[in-house]
Amino acid sequence: MTHVVIAGYARSPFTPAKKGALARVRPDDLAAQVVRKLVAGAGLPSKDIEDLIVGCAFPEGEQGFNVARLIGMLADLDLTVGGVTVNRFCGSSMQSVHMAAGQIALGAGEAFLCAGVESMSRVPMMGFNPLPNPALHGKRPGAYMGMGDTAENVARRWEISRADQEAFAVGSHRKAARAQGEGRLAAEIVPIATKGGPVEADGCIRADASAEGLAALKPAFQRDGTVTAGTASPLTDGASAVLVCSEAYARRAGLTPLARIAAVAISGCEPEVMGIGPVAASRKAMARAGITADALSVVELNEAFASQALACIRDLGLREETVNIDGGAIALGHPLGATGARIVGKAAALLAREGGRFALATQCIGGGQGIATLLERV
Amino acid sequence: MTGIRKVAVIGAGVMGSGIAAHIANAGVPVLLMDIVPEGAADRNGLARGAVAGMLKAEPAAFMSPRAAKLVETLNLEDHLDRLREVDWIVEVVIERLDAKQALYRRIEAVRKPGTAVSSNTSTIPLDALVEGMPEAFAKDFLITHFFNPPRYMRLLEIVTGPRTDPALAATVADFADRRLGKSIVRCKDRPGFIANRLGIFWIQNAIAAADDLGVPVEEADAVMGRPFGIPKTGVFGLVDLVGLDLIPHTTRSLRAALPPEDAFHATFREMPLIARLIAEGYTGRKGKGGFYRLNREGGRKTKEAIDLGTGAYRPSAKVDLPELKEAKGPRAVLDLPGRVGDYAWRVMGPTLAYAAGLVGEASDDIAAIDEAMRLGYNWKWGPFELIDRIGGAFVAGRLAEDGCAVPPILAGLEGKTFYRVENGQRQVLTAGGEYQTLVRPEGVLRLEDIKLSAKPLLKNGSAALWDIGDGVTCFEFTSQANALDEQTMVLLGKAIKLVKAQYKALVIYNEGANFSVGANLGLALFAANIAAWGEIEKLVSLGQQTYGHLKYAPFPVVSAPSGMALGGGCEILLHSDAVQAHAESYIGLVEAGVGLVPAWGGCKEMLARWQGNPALPKGPMPAVAKVFETVSTATVAKSAQEARDLLFLRPEDGITMNRDRLLADAKARALAMVEGYAPPEPASLTLPGPSGALALRMAAEGFANRGIATAHDLVVAGELARVLSGGGADLLDTLDEDAILDLEREGFMRLVRTEATLERFESVIETGRPVRN
Repeated sequence: MTHVVIAGYARSPFTPAKKGALARVRPDDLAAQVVRKLVAGAGLPSKDIEDLIVGCAFPEGEQGFNVARLIGMLADLDLTVGGVTVNRFCGSSMQSVHMAAGQIALGAGEAFLCAGVESMSRVPMMGFNPLPNPALHGKRPGAYMGMGDTAENVARRWEISRADQEAFAVGSHRKAARAQGEGRLAAEIVPIATKGGPVEADGCIRADASAEGLAALKPAFQRDGTVTAGTASPLTDGASAVLVCSEAYARRAGLTPLARIAAVAISGCEPEVMGIGPVAASRKAMARAGITADALSVVELNEAFASQALACIRDLGLREETVNIDGGAIALGHPLGATGARIVGKAAALLAREGGRFALATQCIGGGQGIATLLERV
Repeated sequence: MTGIRKVAVIGAGVMGSGIAAHIANAGVPVLLMDIVPEGAADRNGLARGAVAGMLKAEPAAFMSPRAAKLVETLNLEDHLDRLREVDWIVEVVIERLDAKQALYRRIEAVRKPGTAVSSNTSTIPLDALVEGMPEAFAKDFLITHFFNPPRYMRLLEIVTGPRTDPALAATVADFADRRLGKSIVRCKDRPGFIANRLGIFWIQNAIAAADDLGVPVEEADAVMGRPFGIPKTGVFGLVDLVGLDLIPHTTRSLRAALPPEDAFHATFREMPLIARLIAEGYTGRKGKGGFYRLNREGGRKTKEAIDLGTGAYRPSAKVDLPELKEAKGPRAVLDLPGRVGDYAWRVMGPTLAYAAGLVGEASDDIAAIDEAMRLGYNWKWGPFELIDRIGGAFVAGRLAEDGCAVPPILAGLEGKTFYRVENGQRQVLTAGGEYQTLVRPEGVLRLEDIKLSAKPLLKNGSAALWDIGDGVTCFEFTSQANALDEQTMVLLGKAIKLVKAQYKALVIYNEGANFSVGANLGLALFAANIAAWGEIEKLVSLGQQTYGHLKYAPFPVVSAPSGMALGGGCEILLHSDAVQAHAESYIGLVEAGVGLVPAWGGCKEMLARWQGNPALPKGPMPAVAKVFETVSTATVAKSAQEARDLLFLRPEDGITMNRDRLLADAKARALAMVEGYAPPEPASLTLPGPSGALALRMAAEGFANRGIATAHDLVVAGELARVLSGGGADLLDTLDEDAILDLEREGFMRLVRTEATLERFESVIETGRPVRN
């Protein structure tokens, strides 16, 4: 069996949609800058790359056409490198990694660029022309349920209190602010050139987030609900990319692998509680690798909402100190298509940095799915 | 000086920043400057803070966020030389002669020669302001006295001195008239000019009389308000509105400036109560309250009023004076026996006498004094119009009875009135005792003037059609609140036929406070209560057909709204070839608020407009979603400029700043369209069908979950979603206008049969606001 490794990781700063520093940057330009930097940093000839696989949750407008191919051209990749755009909503760019790993195992290529992008400023959630199927809506209304409502459902069913959600959100901001302050984020960030000058830092983190401040917010989705703008990930602009290749190629090309892919999994769940998706997917992945949760030293669990993150931590029996060590999406932001590659890359980098044997990257997906990637120390 | 392209306003207080905002509303760039407070981190902080405050002001100071971008926030230390860029400098600094003159000297050192400089002083005479200043400065100097808030108050008092260049003053006046929409009243260089001199006299007198006669403040306001055509705030409510602290301040400066023999002094008295209220922070509505306050103790809001006798707050009492309700007109109120009649006379007798005394003193022009009070204090009738209504002999007689001096102009009336209509022209009495025809400024056309000599071409109980010359006709709504009903549609239908046969163009315009508040809900409720569903549907169809005929008539139709144009009143604009809107037009499709969908073609026209908007992304949904967002929330544009952003107005539709110029502008626009006129092409629409409707309903449900939309809002939104998405249409279909009209009518009829919609009708009729059910 061919071993597949994560051999590089980079991302743009993540900044708030509409008002952030990247709001006026086209998503294809944004992703191209990240891809170009990742390839240059790895120092490999781009013609070695089989394919550029780009995840995007709403691939239309400026992130439409086959944006992966266009990003490849913008990044001046060799024209022999392919380009494919992948949509699994929030799991899109983690899916890119899984596809690359599968191709490598199949012997259909040795090196892949797995990227993700979302400008939530420039392409709205649900796209410009939402046209849900009335018959399906009649049969299964949850298929189109708003994400906030699913977060409320999880909070109710798993009995996650508002105070717990807010404490979790404060923790996320605190960890991210500390990581930022100590320069632990800078290494993964590619400064993005914009008309207003280079953008180098994340824009969503609030070092001053406090439980009292969050407690004052109104529920964002349901009048009698517990989920607020403070306990949901913000609308964000951003791009990310990882270099996925066979261990043999990495060695040949002189790359230092961050981690090996031990197992991957996907699992559907009830769409009304889509936030719980990571539980089944992670269990599957761990079972495939023959481990249990206590073997995990590092977990990157996407924080779409505090309520679902807490429910997943509880159901999976994760140790809190292993989860989102440098902060999660509530603080960093969640540019839908870009999150999967970010948390795979981050988990791999953390495993290399923090030590330990196994790392898990997992996230929930609108419509009712979970996706998980299990990494192992090289 | 050739024109005003850029203005500087110095002083970023409430008035200065309000004036700057309104100049920006006219699309003219403004430099707003103030001092640099000691140790300030932001040297432009005062001006910047003022603009931020103006952006939040209620009622809005800016007509659009774009206007705010035209105000550049600067300071007097670093940017004084930039005064070179401007054509008009408005000084709005502290009311101190030395401070103003010191500033003028600094201005004089940098301004271009010929740049107009004006002061917004309300009390310091021009003579004093220019004393000792160079000749060149005096030549370019005048007083421009705005009223608060500058966007909404239409009066501008202008004072020029003997050395002021008349051409320069005319340029400023013309700019203020056409671009800022102000009515100019020229005043003599006398303290307080006209409006405040008389207005403060009246206020002072009304407070003293209430105190003397033991009249409660609520009763005083009820007597002083509506019966005399004065806003219902009366006197005490007005003082609360403008600020209690303004009263002693203005009174003091007027007393200091007026000669001892002036009657102003006789009515003055110390008001310890007012001084105490101000000291305690009861400065009026901007403070903790004033003569009235809302007491929030115990979690409940109780309206309270001051007892003038004890000086303590007590629960506000509803005024119950049947005799006041029955009294028709100001004279009848003055004739009432007892406290009400006594109080009315004690206030208005001396006020009218004082007004008569201002002729020759503050202005030679009786009509100007009336105009100043109408526009500066929102009186329906100026003092001389009031005297005509009350009877000059009656006023003179009662003054004499009281042992008061009767002003000569009043004594000399001898049965005449101050105004008369002669040969279809309105005339006013001059100080010399002659009548002079009132001439409107060039470019001002008023339907009320036309009516003096003309008969309507067509007329019924709800509307009339007038010939306004040059082959142009004017369709006027005449019903209560200009509500639209079957009669309106019938007459509009006849008007279309008549214009087609005999005239060139049609203007839809009226001089009511509001263009139209929409369809008559009272009639609809009545019909619903007797289950006359067929009648209701017939009226919906009639409106659809009539507006359709209007749109496709073989002559240009120009609508000219001012004030509110809601519901059916908005839909008539949407079916016009062009709109010339007064800047203060408040336009919206508000049907959803009363539980309906627009059904006189409003949905259809808005869809066509948004589908034709190249700024939207492609596909079947963006236009539909935009219209849904605007209509389902019953959004009303807060200015004509905002109405453009919402596409209630087209980009090429015109905006007139001065209300008095609206009809002439609309007529000119109509005439310009006559040659080569061709009716518009009907719209054809591609709509998303049921999938699109589902997406819209899901959005509405999100609002309901958050507690923003009610249960019935969802029902209404569902019907609206169905209309806007084209009913059962497939997105490959092309729908014509009739298909959308059918959907509008079906949705309307389903909703009008719901209890919840009828409850909304009832609450609007009773309280003016729809119940949130």
